[in-house]
Amino acid sequence: MTFSEDKPVMIEFRDVHKYYGDYHALRGIDGTIKAGEFFSLLGPSGCGKTTLLRTIAGFEGISSGVIMIDDRNMAGVPANVRPTNMVFQSYAIFPHMSVAENVGFGLRRDPRTKAEKAAAVEEMLAMVGLTGYGDRAAHELSGGQRQRVALARALILKPKVLLLDEPLSALDKKMREHMQVELIKLQRQVGITFILVTHDQEEALVMSDRIAVMFEGGIAQLADPETLYRRPNSKQVAEFIGTMNFVPATILSEVGGKVEIEAKGLGKVTLDETQSPPPRGEEPVVGLRPETLTLLFPGQTTSERKVDGLIDEVIYFGDMTYYDVYLGGTDVEVRLSMRNVPGRPILDVGTRVEVAWSPEALVLFR
Amino acid sequence: MKDAPILRSYAVLYLIFLYGPIIILPMFAFNDNTIVSFPLKGFTTKWFAEMWSDPNLRIALQNSLIIALSTATLSTVLGIFAARASVRYKWPGKTAVVGLIMVPLVLPEMIVAMALLVVLLSIGVPLSIFTIIMGHVLICMPFAVAILTSAFQSLDRSLEEAALDLGEDAWSTFRLIVLPLVMPGIMASFLITFTISIDEFIIANFLGSGKPILSVYIFGQFRFPAKVPAMLALGTLLVAFSIILLTIAEYFRRRGVAKTGGKNSGGFL
Amino acid sequence: MAQSQSSEAKTGYMLVAPPLLYAVLLLAAPLATVLIYSVLTGENGAVSLPMTTENFTTVWTGRVYQAIMARSLYVSMLVTLTTVLLAYPIAYFVSFHVRPERKALWLFLITIPFWTSYIIRVALWRTILGYNGIIDSTLIGLGVTSEPLNILSYGVVSIIITLAHAYAPFAVLPIFVSLEKVDRALLEAGQDLGESRWTTFLRVTLPLSMPGVIAAVLIVFIPTVGDYVTPELIGGGKVPMIANMIEIEMLKKRDQAMGSAIAVTAMSIVAIVSILFVLLNKRFIGGTK
Repeated sequence: MTFSEDKPVMIEFRDVHKYYGDYHALRGIDGTIKAGEFFSLLGPSGCGKTTLLRTIAGFEGISSGVIMIDDRNMAGVPANVRPTNMVFQSYAIFPHMSVAENVGFGLRRDPRTKAEKAAAVEEMLAMVGLTGYGDRAAHELSGGQRQRVALARALILKPKVLLLDEPLSALDKKMREHMQVELIKLQRQVGITFILVTHDQEEALVMSDRIAVMFEGGIAQLADPETLYRRPNSKQVAEFIGTMNFVPATILSEVGGKVEIEAKGLGKVTLDETQSPPPRGEEPVVGLRPETLTLLFPGQTTSERKVDGLIDEVIYFGDMTYYDVYLGGTDVEVRLSMRNVPGRPILDVGTRVEVAWSPEALVLFR
Repeated sequence: MKDAPILRSYAVLYLIFLYGPIIILPMFAFNDNTIVSFPLKGFTTKWFAEMWSDPNLRIALQNSLIIALSTATLSTVLGIFAARASVRYKWPGKTAVVGLIMVPLVLPEMIVAMALLVVLLSIGVPLSIFTIIMGHVLICMPFAVAILTSAFQSLDRSLEEAALDLGEDAWSTFRLIVLPLVMPGIMASFLITFTISIDEFIIANFLGSGKPILSVYIFGQFRFPAKVPAMLALGTLLVAFSIILLTIAEYFRRRGVAKTGGKNSGGFL
Repeated sequence: MAQSQSSEAKTGYMLVAPPLLYAVLLLAAPLATVLIYSVLTGENGAVSLPMTTENFTTVWTGRVYQAIMARSLYVSMLVTLTTVLLAYPIAYFVSFHVRPERKALWLFLITIPFWTSYIIRVALWRTILGYNGIIDSTLIGLGVTSEPLNILSYGVVSIIITLAHAYAPFAVLPIFVSLEKVDRALLEAGQDLGESRWTTFLRVTLPLSMPGVIAAVLIVFIPTVGDYVTPELIGGGKVPMIANMIEIEMLKKRDQAMGSAIAVTAMSIVAIVSILFVLLNKRFIGGTK
């Protein structure tokens, strides 16, 4: 995932703060978004992700700091002249206009002729798969179609940055998954920087080149999806993205970036620097994802390390089964997930098993 | 829905109680008898002719129309300012300011009329049609504010942001997006304040200069039994006019609802 | 649009300035004037110093004034009670027994009469209830009675009928709105727990709709206590109420101080009754939590 590294910077935040009265909504945002990148702002509600998006659009002023877009300081630049366009959570389709009037709304001040504008509208409608819908009234559209109109309307102005505020949250699960793929394709096609706000970690992982995870007005980690998933830099990020088991650990020694620990139920492990993010003064625990643990069925062997386990709970999910397992005769319980493949039995509660695991999958939080 | 025969018959009786007088109105307006009582005598349109032949009525009608149109325009415009300010912007003291504007709703009209009268007399403003308009705008403004506030509230804030985002400035956003979308509310406010003004008696009576105003004229005429049938004829026309206006207002309201694709629920107020 | 809070507040004030200025000049200032006049001495259409509380003493202790104010309160309370009692079943019917898509039509039907001329409706009741009027002639025609009943001559009864008719929609709408908010699942839960429909109504629906009832009471009470037209047209001036008394003092006796004192008293009565009901409402909301 080195996609973004060689790209020029499109947006830069320098110590951006935002207060609403006494409420500190953005607490020193730093970072860059690259040109042509699909970037996500991910976090729980109230973390400031939408506020940050709206400061880029120019709907919210900032209390201090600098926002640069395409090497231009945005201080005092109103929303209507910024090189950004937005797809709103509610889509904000103008209800008193037709689809074509909505899409062509931004061209009102464009010097082109009527026919040229109409052609541009048609082209955009074709791009979002709504050819022939131009004369429809806005309220006749389905949720997915509204979404496409909102996209076409924002993209017709060829913005440098497209801002998407939870654009998929109003759609049902099937439609959402479909639109995720469409959005990725569209972004590759137009090559514009997309900034997506979402609270759905799966959506962010699927769609983004890079993700900024935000908590309480600050960016907790800014990384590509794989790094974020495999090497979260804090317990908070690890818990927010996917499922993570936490196992109590004691630190034995620390030499030149290598940390040797004793993890309860797992034994001694040596971790490299990528597995040991900067300390935060917390009780040391190691995290490991459910899918990095494997149940060994009778007769199976492994080249990885293994530990004895006792099945405490079995949760059947159709394609997967989750097992909650006590490790190595201790009270440490982890969840692990196994694919249900033909010929593989579902084990019962109380079964004694062996669990294979890999030291490489661990991350230390302390 | 469960069937409730007792409630249903009560509802019908209630509607008869509500509409009884309004149905009686045309019955006796076309009845060929000076005394308003049963049995009906015969069909005539002479009361309409008699009513229209009174030059005072025409003056009263003209005055009332001037008053009602001015009142509806002024109170709706002021209502737009107040509703927009209270829905869209945050500012300290909003509750108190909006509360003051809405006070005439909870104040007996007589007190509003007398308070205004005392001040007008003491600073020497002569009573005229204008003083009536001043009073009417005061009592109509709360209705305009209430109707327009709900119209502005149903407007999704992100629509305005979308227009700004697409290159429009504050004023063109208001003109292209906000105004068309609250237009049904503006129409409703205009029609309702118009109706209230035409109908209003106390302010028209006490803040007028004695010039004939429709409601004052009707009030006066009803004191003479011989004039009653002609007034019933006038009443018939006024009621018909009100119902037409209301139907138009309701039509606009529903069209507004349909346009935005919303669900139709509720009615006026 | 980098809007700081102060610029947002500024825009808000600029927008609200015209209606606010209007209300201050034409409402707040006149009401303040009435308040001041009420403690001055009035004579021949003018007021003068010294300040005095004599006006209020007269209004509150004078037998005629007391009688008129008591009657105003009595009549408007009866009107309010009648109107709200008559309106509740209708609101209940529309909310619970009318299909959702027909509700708007019913509300429209109930509100239409309100938008037809008030004066004409009041005057109509005069012809309906009056001596040898429509009711009398109908009853005599049907042979129910041989003498005209002349309901109009029973001033208070005819005033109540007229005003209950005039303010019907005002009472129906708020009650309807509060009934609409009642969670239907609660009612099913009540019946599921073995309560009869009637006890469910008493224990769940009625308390939950009390805010609407209290709103209806206020909406009907406030204008009726200050009504001028009905006592004049229906009561024939024989049953004067507060508004008529204010007119007499202000315009016929030309005593603006006394008129102001009565107006202030009337406002206080309205305010006290309103506050009582609002407090009652708060207790109801608190009690149902």
